[in-house]
Amino acid sequence: MVTDRIKELSSNPSRTYQPIDGHYDEATGASGLPRRHWRQLTTALVRMGQARLDRRWQHGVQLIQSNGVTYNVYGDPQGSQRPWPLDPIPMVLASQEWAFLEAAVIQRATLLNAMLADIYGNQALLHDRRFPAELVLENPGFLRASHGVPASRGVHLSHYAADLARSPDGQWWVIADRTQAPSGAGYALENRLVCAQTLPEAFHRSRVRQLARFFQTFREGLAALAPRHRDNSRTVLLTPGPYNETFFEHAYLAKHMGYTLVEGSDLTVRGDRVYLKTLGGLEQVDVILRRLDDAYCDPLELRGDSLLGIPGLVHAVRSGNVAIANALGSGLMETSAHMAFLPPLCRHMLGEELKMPSVATWWCGQEQPLHYVEQNMERLVIKPTFPRFGLKPVFGDMLSAAGRAEFTAKLKAHPWQYVAQEQVALSTAPVWTEKGIEPRHIVMRVFACWADGKYVVMPGGLTRISQSAESLVVTMQRGGGSKDTWVLSEHDDEPFVLPQPARPPVDVTRSTDLPSRVADNLFWLGRYVERVESQVRVARALLPALSGECDLGGSVSIESAIELLAGYRYVAEEMVHAHPGEQLRSLERALLSMLFDAHRPAGLLWTVGHVGRIAWQLKERLSADTWRVLSQIEKDFQRQQPPSGVRLLAELEPLDKAIVTLSAFAGLMTESMTRGQGWRFLDIGRRLERALQMIELLLYGLAGRHESLELLLRVADSSITYRSRYYTTMQADLVLDLLLADESNPRSVAFQFTSLAAHIGQLPRQDDAAHHPLESRLTLKLLTAVRLLNTEQLSVPGKDGSRLQLREMLEAIQQDVHTLADALSRKYLSHAMPSRILVSS
Amino acid sequence: MRYLATHITRYMYEHPVVVCHNEIRLAPRAHAHQKVLSSRIAVDPNPEILAGRLDYFGNHVDHFSILEAHTSLTVTASSVVDVQKPVRLVPAETPAWEDVRDLLHAYGNGQTMSAFEFTCDSPFVATAEEFAEYARKSFLPRRPVLEAAIDLCARVHKDFTYKPSSTTIDTPVAEVFKTRKGVCQDFAHFMIAAFRSLGLGARYVSGYLRSGANFTGAEASHAWLAVFLPPGGWVDLDPTNNVLPGEGHVTVAWGRDYGDVTPVKGVALGGGEHKIDVEVRVRPLEQN
Repeated sequence: MVTDRIKELSSNPSRTYQPIDGHYDEATGASGLPRRHWRQLTTALVRMGQARLDRRWQHGVQLIQSNGVTYNVYGDPQGSQRPWPLDPIPMVLASQEWAFLEAAVIQRATLLNAMLADIYGNQALLHDRRFPAELVLENPGFLRASHGVPASRGVHLSHYAADLARSPDGQWWVIADRTQAPSGAGYALENRLVCAQTLPEAFHRSRVRQLARFFQTFREGLAALAPRHRDNSRTVLLTPGPYNETFFEHAYLAKHMGYTLVEGSDLTVRGDRVYLKTLGGLEQVDVILRRLDDAYCDPLELRGDSLLGIPGLVHAVRSGNVAIANALGSGLMETSAHMAFLPPLCRHMLGEELKMPSVATWWCGQEQPLHYVEQNMERLVIKPTFPRFGLKPVFGDMLSAAGRAEFTAKLKAHPWQYVAQEQVALSTAPVWTEKGIEPRHIVMRVFACWADGKYVVMPGGLTRISQSAESLVVTMQRGGGSKDTWVLSEHDDEPFVLPQPARPPVDVTRSTDLPSRVADNLFWLGRYVERVESQVRVARALLPALSGECDLGGSVSIESAIELLAGYRYVAEEMVHAHPGEQLRSLERALLSMLFDAHRPAGLLWTVGHVGRIAWQLKERLSADTWRVLSQIEKDFQRQQPPSGVRLLAELEPLDKAIVTLSAFAGLMTESMTRGQGWRFLDIGRRLERALQMIELLLYGLAGRHESLELLLRVADSSITYRSRYYTTMQADLVLDLLLADESNPRSVAFQFTSLAAHIGQLPRQDDAAHHPLESRLTLKLLTAVRLLNTEQLSVPGKDGSRLQLREMLEAIQQDVHTLADALSRKYLSHAMPSRILVSS
Repeated sequence: MRYLATHITRYMYEHPVVVCHNEIRLAPRAHAHQKVLSSRIAVDPNPEILAGRLDYFGNHVDHFSILEAHTSLTVTASSVVDVQKPVRLVPAETPAWEDVRDLLHAYGNGQTMSAFEFTCDSPFVATAEEFAEYARKSFLPRRPVLEAAIDLCARVHKDFTYKPSSTTIDTPVAEVFKTRKGVCQDFAHFMIAAFRSLGLGARYVSGYLRSGANFTGAEASHAWLAVFLPPGGWVDLDPTNNVLPGEGHVTVAWGRDYGDVTPVKGVALGGGEHKIDVEVRVRPLEQN
């Protein structure tokens, strides 16, 4: 009966939800009826009806897109970001079953932590032959530099995740241990935010347990690891960078937990401590929550072939001045061979039986398991004990008789290099597809963290689904999907609240706590956004010239348009003297290139692309609104085929739209951003760029032979101001005054210099030298230059119509602005100095 | 013999280095027939910290960092060591190599387990069947292990050409085996790979040769290897010179391969192009 109801939900009424034979279905029991703990959800879905679910789900998908929830796929140099695939139907777990899973995961985390403590300590397990020495000593994950280094408070695993699968008999198995830097908890939280908004009634009625408290506990646990002042410790989240597959999650968790998101180059070891490089100087770091694999964390003592890490980090850890979560070397437990030894180890180390079995595992380095694997190869997957280049898993049932013999010979030659596992027939759960609700295989990742001496499990998880009903492969890399995971509460004790991001701790003493790299990114974001705006304004002012009316508004000539474009190097210099018809064609070509050529360095689309990439790197620093506006800028320029001929004129409308989006960004900057150092660098970037753009505009539009005062005013968005002051008389000296020297015009060069002078006065001073630093002297020089200039004299054209004196003056200012930008970069932002590994024998 | 061993490493940079972190393994370790009387490390410019410890394999390692801008860096290690002639085993009386192999793989106590570690592949040494095949010409069935090892050492010495600059640190052992040329590091790595491919334990030894003697590889860092031979422990072999190291070899450090005992290793911020200059002197001292 209820399958009929689900049928109603399906977009294709002829199909019913049909679990797959031979697999356990999470939602439907053997009778074909929904399981008890799924009934609330099923009823709610039916009550909602397909149309409403569709509508809600569209909103959910939008939420995922506009929040920038993505998962990067390896091997894509552009770091192309795939939207996070989420299924609207959650995975549901009953409270009793959850109690068992929770206890089992706590036990396993405790056991693995104890094993790591032994392996990185006195290795009694190896000496007593309770755990094969090969699995440690030959394991690339065993970091000798970490041996003998005590983990802070004995915690090697401060967080842990287990991948769980359910076999046809309903039994749960652990199929993988994640001990390195488990990912997914952040995605689980984001899934919850979206899913709870899509299915509010069902969520409310089902009494779903909250996730937020887990992250609070995780925070407390990490704070307790700090070697000093635990009440006021500084924790950073170390990411490999924006091209990492789960970078979204790194940014998301950093924001949610109130940690500074850092890359290796943001940290430095001085003496035997770790510091964060901020604008205000070096700030000591107490705890590093790492999402970087341990082997890459220190090019000096660990893998030397990568500079992602922090040279000297292991030394600082050894000195006991910084805690790392998870401890360096914990990745050791991610190979599956250890699973074969857990039941006796659990009895030995914890004095209890292992609560949840691992998927049946045989490590071939011992005689009996090797014998078993030889005899039962057809039922097993045989994998390398340690992941090595070139060795792929072998599925026993796919081998021919000859292949099997050949493989058996290889196996027997180096048996310890192989581990065999049974394949679990994964359970299924209902998934919303285009064809209706269909069963898909699932694997559930469950998370635990350490706090206050024990492990706590997140009441929920990340359920991942296979791409098709046939596929047993569940991986985000190959395009599966995910589900929110609802753990139902027995009691009504948890009030319904949507999880809210934890408020970052307020600490006035750390107002300069801005990593130099972030300041650098903000500076360039400001510059690129401004550059986009300036190019859009130029294109918008020139487009009407294509209408064939050479004389625009009585004062813009095609010659002046061409001269301006020649200045920007969009047309060749000779075009200035060409025939008007030819000029018109080259104007069209130039505009096409301006608006549609993504490969033109420093062109409009190229700059837009940079805005997107920098915004992505700054994800955790931007408000949701700012992020949406910046994504909109990218969308504004995503267009199809370049239109030809007169249709280019239709581009005016999208350009107008882009100007509105850019104004929204400027508005958010003014009205919504706290005036911290981050905002300051963003604005410095904008002001510097606007000054440079205006200088260029004056150089190409006024200093040359064909002036176009109307065009200048239009690009500079100053026509109205000009007219209100001077009515219709177009005079070069008045235009020059308004665009260069008028400190009340927010588009003028002088206005930018005044703002820059104010900003620079507010920057943290790293040296208390008595004399003014270079950047202050330069701004003063620039400001004086524009204040003292004589616009009347500069506007007098020479014999050929050009203004040589003006050109020289503008070029001198331009040079000083570039020097100022360099001075600021060197002092506050420079961190990109290449480091290198040097060895000598 | 008593020696004064001096090892000077000089880096010269094109641009100033702003920060550098370094790890050095230059202080000789003591063992059964080597006593270290004194050992001194000097770094110029003056490092902010200079801290010593023993690493995983029991070698002395010093860590230092320099936080002032510098365009050259000089590390000078000077040590006084007494090296005695080891008691030589009679090769023919050592156990059959298969028994040594089986004992290692049945590791049952501290010593065999730590030796077992040296049967495993390591970053610079990957085992291969072709190495085992080459080695089996010396390792005939039931042959005493030391006799076979000395024979292998002689063959490597004869079959491989010593050719400076023909390889780099990263040249894989398989490549060295194919081209049959290289320097002391390569020969040591190849022999270690051959031993491990047979299931035996072998470790990489870094050190110096006494100056003035007729050795290949003197006046620089030298490398050889040691093979596990129960019950006593390890026997050194120098394939570059085809000798059993004795009084003329000063041991500095040992590990699974070169990567574990790199004498000077550092990460420098800035610097641009650089030049390295290394000078090693091992001078016999008068003993009273």
